[in-house]
Amino acid sequence: MGLISTEKLAEGLVLASDVLDRSGRMLLASGVELTTRHIRMLMAWGIAEADIAGVDVPQQQPVASSKVDDALLQPMEEELKLIFSNVDLEHPAMAELFRLCLLRKVSGETRQA
Amino acid sequence: MRRAKPDLEHIVNNATTVYSLPLIHDRLTQAINNPKASFADITTIISEDQGLSFRILKLANSPMFGYHKNIDTITKAATIIGTQQLRDLSLAISVMGVFKGIPEELINMTSFWQHSITCGIVARILATCRREANVERFFVSGVLHDIGQLVLCTAIPEQLAELIMQCRDSGQPHYQAQGEAWGFDHSSVSGEMLSKWKIPQIIAEPVANHHSPSKAVTYPVEAATLHLSDLIAHALQAGCSGETHVPPLAEQAWDLLDIPVSMLSTILKQIDAQLDETMAILFGKEHL
Repeated sequence: MGLISTEKLAEGLVLASDVLDRSGRMLLASGVELTTRHIRMLMAWGIAEADIAGVDVPQQQPVASSKVDDALLQPMEEELKLIFSNVDLEHPAMAELFRLCLLRKVSGETRQA
Repeated sequence: MRRAKPDLEHIVNNATTVYSLPLIHDRLTQAINNPKASFADITTIISEDQGLSFRILKLANSPMFGYHKNIDTITKAATIIGTQQLRDLSLAISVMGVFKGIPEELINMTSFWQHSITCGIVARILATCRREANVERFFVSGVLHDIGQLVLCTAIPEQLAELIMQCRDSGQPHYQAQGEAWGFDHSSVSGEMLSKWKIPQIIAEPVANHHSPSKAVTYPVEAATLHLSDLIAHALQAGCSGETHVPPLAEQAWDLLDIPVSMLSTILKQIDAQLDETMAILFGKEHL
């Protein structure tokens, strides 16, 4: 099982646990096989992520696509690490923030180039 | 002899004699709190200030609100956005005006307000995600959270410059260095300024505690939101208010907000769509 953000959900995936809204009301039960309608409904309800069966946690995507070569990525990662030096990158939220910021830096740089 | 330690109360008292909020803010607050005041009374007060109305209308039609450019009068804006919310927006605009003409040797104003506005936008998006009521107050607290730095810029410029340099080299969080050297940091100055201006505690308390959100006992969620927003704004490196590193996360604040990690990427995407235009409206050179 693993958490997948709603925008990445696909038809046929199976829920590993119940999907609840903020007040704890059940929207979809665990074991349900998702259909396109389900996914649209989850989006309409503002559900950010769902627990999906058979997915490995953590679902860490690589920082950048293969288009970016290491020579470009490494100095940026070093630079960003310096700025994040007071932050605990072991914390999942901070690790994700770091990844997103690096991604922005890289895509900004390639756009300029 | 070494310079005397700066005194928080003295600095704030001095600053409030120099910087005062425009009268319109008091009039608006009085009208909103007065049960006898009509809706028209409130919109009239705003409409009388052309510069303010102009910015509020531009803001109401910007991507931040997403009403597709249909709000053409203050009355319409007040109906759709709400009178309290307009008061909060006007507060952000007024305060930005108050600090015009601060010497820029230490902190570049464009950069300072870019950081502040980014923080405000992030706070507003976080609050929207959490389904908070009146998200404009989150925006305002973000825009105002670092005004203490501006006060310090004019009150004790040498001491501030020294610490900024020192932290840039050592990597120590700027607010920590201020706390160690002076016994208080810029967040207390910001908070005290807002309290002196009689800004409601729901905005002043989170601002005063944006580096120590657990100390905000009355409005912990607001303080936690502001704390995280400041951190994200620093991480994005959008503008700078004197701090060159991302401040450490208060994990309690993160736990309190209970936002899924996957939400961060959505939040960052929304910032991009809003930042440039909001910055241009609030800090733009256009005047009426």
